[in-house]
Amino acid sequence: MPVDQRADGAAGGRPAIELAGLTKRYRRGKDWLTAVNDVTLSVPPGQVIALLGPNGAGKTTTIKMTCGLILPTEGTIRISGYDVARQRSHAVRQLGAVLEGSRNVYWPLTAWQNLMYFGRVKGMRGHEIRPRAEQLLADLGLWKRRSETVGSYSRGMQQKVAIAAALITDPPVILLDEPTIGLDVEAARTVKDWITHLAADEGKTIVLTTHQLGIAQELAGRIAVIRDGTVIADLRTPELLSRYAEDRFEVTVAGPLNGFAGTLPAGARAEADAGSTRITLRDADQGRLHAFLGELRAKDVPLVSVSQARPDLEEVFLRLIRDDSAKEHAA
Amino acid sequence: MTLPAPPAAGGSAVTARIAGNEAGKQGRLLMSRRGLVAFGVVAGGANFVLFRLLIGGGHISTEMVALTLPGLVLGWAFAATMAVQGAGDIAEEVLGGTLEQSQLSPARPSVLLAGRLAGLTGQGLAGAVVLGLVFGVGFGVHYTIGPGVLVPLLLTIADALGYALLMTALVLRVASIGAIVHVFNMAIMFFGGMVVPVYAFPHGVEMFARVLPTTLGVEALSTTLAGRGLGGAWTDGTLPWLIVHVVALGSLAWVTYLNTLRRARREGGMSPR
Repeated sequence: MPVDQRADGAAGGRPAIELAGLTKRYRRGKDWLTAVNDVTLSVPPGQVIALLGPNGAGKTTTIKMTCGLILPTEGTIRISGYDVARQRSHAVRQLGAVLEGSRNVYWPLTAWQNLMYFGRVKGMRGHEIRPRAEQLLADLGLWKRRSETVGSYSRGMQQKVAIAAALITDPPVILLDEPTIGLDVEAARTVKDWITHLAADEGKTIVLTTHQLGIAQELAGRIAVIRDGTVIADLRTPELLSRYAEDRFEVTVAGPLNGFAGTLPAGARAEADAGSTRITLRDADQGRLHAFLGELRAKDVPLVSVSQARPDLEEVFLRLIRDDSAKEHAA
Repeated sequence: MTLPAPPAAGGSAVTARIAGNEAGKQGRLLMSRRGLVAFGVVAGGANFVLFRLLIGGGHISTEMVALTLPGLVLGWAFAATMAVQGAGDIAEEVLGGTLEQSQLSPARPSVLLAGRLAGLTGQGLAGAVVLGLVFGVGFGVHYTIGPGVLVPLLLTIADALGYALLMTALVLRVASIGAIVHVFNMAIMFFGGMVVPVYAFPHGVEMFARVLPTTLGVEALSTTLAGRGLGGAWTDGTLPWLIVHVVALGSLAWVTYLNTLRRARREGGMSPR
């Protein structure tokens, strides 16, 4: 029976990914640039976590440090309990990665040759790789074109090969850095469906970075927002979305507002629809809401509904970044 | 979720498999651009003919072919081709992101490197053997071929590998590596024994030529092929200096490659900057 050599010595229930005090500083002339600053994250098995942030926030550096492709200045990384710095050979077997801005696979080779190569580069034997490669190519709709060079594929098909290559060893942890970038709607949908399948049906732990926030909202159960190398929010997706929900209400009234429109509270926005008008009250507390409803009643405007609006992830993200930036300036 | 304990990562069978996989990939990439490789071999041969005609005043002397063929085969067709292929492959892999993906292997970088070098050797030898046979048989060149020939031949192959590896390593550090490889390759072509034998140069140029990769090997090999044996190559100083050259260049290249790879991991330099 093989001896378990995991650095954490945990018997079970260990996180799939543990980043502790992860810091990366680059030398730029005489100065040091901090790309990632004291990032600590613990991702349990089976969770899909989206790592969001503006360009240059440190997402890709974090992903590459997690893979062992970039050495951290400080901090530790464990994948399924294996320390990436001290047990790299074990740790890399636990993960597959699709990296941003890269082809990830050899375009002059066929899809089949790529999968065989990337399986063997992880130390697998040919007979272990073949059934898995057949399954992946069939599931991703590439089987019929497996003997064509990847360079002749469409962008979406190339990305599917990159995903298949990352999955060839059936790793429990998958790192996807901008997996849908540059893809058309249909190809992006296929990739999204696959991520959902991997998480829901195969129990994979997935770290996803993307600028397409709708995708993150749809796929991730947890979202970490990173800015200037620092994690400024790390919450389950519903909690993050509700973070700014308490101060925004939507009031729907029947018919047009007519003369009442001029008396809307500051910051309110009215959108007329067929037979109704939806008024969004931003930055409104319960007192302002009641006052507004009172005015509607006084003017006999027929009320249809009142609801607390849930901002979408894009709005939450922008507010988080803005608030953090404002805090920084104030400091 | 219970994760299976992975198999031992450092086992020799796994290591050999991963190195073989890397060499096989080089071979498959070579096949994917076989037209270009064939063109390179033909161009090398055409250059050789041109030099022979120019120097022979419109005639090609079999004696001169015999004296300069080792320079063509080992200097140009083997060393220069490997340097171009090695540097080009790494540059392509950095741009394509496949270098990073291949580094997600449980094997040490030196194992992947050994596989890469084996693949490169195959590529270089393919063209070298073709040119050697075409000109050797085509011009009826007679060499004294004995077991002693293997010593300078293998040392020259090792020297060429050191050169190719050094150029490959520098891709990760030097943006204009293409120009540097070109300059070195031109120097090998003109001073490495392919145009005229090295002893025909003035003393200063001769000394410079011997510092270049493969030149000492070509000289030592020519000595043994001329029937003067290993003893002849040893007493004229080419063989001992060749050994020194191989060790020095090989060590420099190996250390440079591993250091540049480490530095690239420290600075995030394995992907396009």
